[in-house]
Amino acid sequence: MRSKSRTLHRIAFLLAIVLAVGHIVPAHSQSFEIHHRFGSTQIDGTPRRVVSLSYNGHDFLLALGVTPVALRHWYGDHPFGVWPWAQAALGDAEPVVLRGAIDIERLAALKPDLIIGQWSGMTEAEYRLLSRIAPTLPPAEAEGDYTSSWRLILSRLGMALGRQAEAEAIAGRLDRRFAQIRAARPHWRDRTAVMVWPPRTGAYTRRDLRGRFLADLGFKTPPALEALAGERAFHVEVPQEDLSPIDADVLIWLHTQDARPIVDGMPLRPSMRAHKEGREIFLDATLTSALSHSSPLSLDYALDRLVPMIEAAVDGDPATPVPDSDDMRGIRQP
Amino acid sequence: MTAGHRPRWAVLCALGIGVVLVGALSLRFGVRPLAWDSAVQALVGFDPGDPDHIAVRTLRVPRTIAAILAGAALGLAGALMQALTRNPLADPGLLGVNGGAAMGVVVAIWGFGVTGQAMLVAPALLGAGLAAVLVLSLGGGATGRAGDSARLVLAGAAVGALFLALTWAILIVSRESLDVYRFWVLGGFRRVDMAQLSALWPFYGLAALFAALAALSLNPLLLGEDTARGLGVRVGLVRLVTLLAVIALCGTTVALAGPIAFVGLIVPHLARPLAGPDIRWLAALSAAMGALLALSADIAGRLVQPGREIEAGAMIALIGGPALIVLVRQRRAAPI
Repeated sequence: MRSKSRTLHRIAFLLAIVLAVGHIVPAHSQSFEIHHRFGSTQIDGTPRRVVSLSYNGHDFLLALGVTPVALRHWYGDHPFGVWPWAQAALGDAEPVVLRGAIDIERLAALKPDLIIGQWSGMTEAEYRLLSRIAPTLPPAEAEGDYTSSWRLILSRLGMALGRQAEAEAIAGRLDRRFAQIRAARPHWRDRTAVMVWPPRTGAYTRRDLRGRFLADLGFKTPPALEALAGERAFHVEVPQEDLSPIDADVLIWLHTQDARPIVDGMPLRPSMRAHKEGREIFLDATLTSALSHSSPLSLDYALDRLVPMIEAAVDGDPATPVPDSDDMRGIRQP
Repeated sequence: MTAGHRPRWAVLCALGIGVVLVGALSLRFGVRPLAWDSAVQALVGFDPGDPDHIAVRTLRVPRTIAAILAGAALGLAGALMQALTRNPLADPGLLGVNGGAAMGVVVAIWGFGVTGQAMLVAPALLGAGLAAVLVLSLGGGATGRAGDSARLVLAGAAVGALFLALTWAILIVSRESLDVYRFWVLGGFRRVDMAQLSALWPFYGLAALFAALAALSLNPLLLGEDTARGLGVRVGLVRLVTLLAVIALCGTTVALAGPIAFVGLIVPHLARPLAGPDIRWLAALSAAMGALLALSADIAGRLVQPGREIEAGAMIALIGGPALIVLVRQRRAAPI
């Protein structure tokens, strides 16, 4: 009896190992190639020491359950440069924080086995150097430094990390959420919306993460803005003398502090239709950053807060006040 | 003096009229299409509800005034600087004030969280002042010993380089600073408003006073410092007044419009054939030509790319670079 149960245990144990190995291995039993704008990169096995050079890359890695060895500091003074929506996913981990320009020697010292940089602004020369240290993942073919969509970033990271199923599940859930919002608000469809940094009035086009966010809600960027920006730009500065390219059905002011006093100082803003009809939305630092990250961890937070604001702004009725955006309200802990 | 036959008054009048005419063009042309009628109406019958009038009054008038002031100041500073150092390649930027102003700006953004362009005027002015004091004390500018021009220029280059290095050290760790700095460092007039102009008026007034004193007393120094001393000129005092004038002119301008290169270098060379060897005329004509160049560059920057603007600082470099090469190739630079 004893030996029989021991044998059973052993068989169960072996089976568990086989199942576990079988679960991991098929995705990455051999090396595979991933194509991108600088050529292609070969990745062997499942990377374990991942360094993120993308300004928002750590959010994507954490969403996929991978804690980066090192991450790129973008802005803000949160611990490890990780904003509130991703802090729970970071947990007690203490990644190395990389500040400033890409430092090749420092990266080599980290001994990574994958370097990700789909939103890092890395140059081709930097890519060549980084590739000598570890397989490096720059933006996809036909993408610019900062034009990749969050879906593309996520699915390519899923491939590189052998976590395609997780990546697809996350993208599917977010896609469903966007689709539900669109379906519930048909009156948003094909209205114009734009996100703008005052006071230089730098606006994002449909090729940027923030432009794509608005497109996912059914909006389009103003045609005059796209004409000004041209085909390839993700960002364009609108001259103070003529603000008509950003005079949209919904005008969202981004800022790291408080945009209101700066926007109030713009001489031609009172003559904008968006101002007269109460179509403006002022975002605080956290919501601005959530949109700038546009990661699987920050998008839910951004949608929770921004959707009611857009609803109040899009009606073009100054009598319905746009809710004020107070910092840190309603951080959802996953 | 020797060039007394040149119709210098006529040239100065023509330049003055040119500045007024181009200034009028600056009110009329820009990204926002306007008719002459509304440009004029904005000045004589302002309607606060008319966007065209607002654009002229609050955007184009301040930038026009700023371009005239900055161009004149840099042209004048260049003329004084080249006369003082007797070096045709001397640029007022050699005194390190631009590096000082840049550091003031970056420290204000990084250390104090300043983000508005308008709030950068005071730190830029402070930084320029600090650099100037350092350059003067290191370069022996205040002691007035003979032959110190080279030492002064070296001190300026060293201090300027030091401040720029510190600036970059901060920019590397602070992305927020970089985002503001990279626009400030282009140099231009489109973000100037009336509040900045009125805050900087006293500084320009003081600078103009020093510049007038310097221009009136520099002529004997052209004979050589020893000869000038023999004629009873207090060389040290003249040098000091000239340096203060150059620093005040450049420091105020960099605070107003950011660093603008080439005007101070090029304009005196363009003015010299018309002015003759007289520093007073050279200073006056350089000021007028500087204003004309800065104003024209600003207007050109609005019209080159429809719907967009290019900073005047970049346009001036675009015009100034080739102009300098032509100047050097033709060796037309009159002796100083």
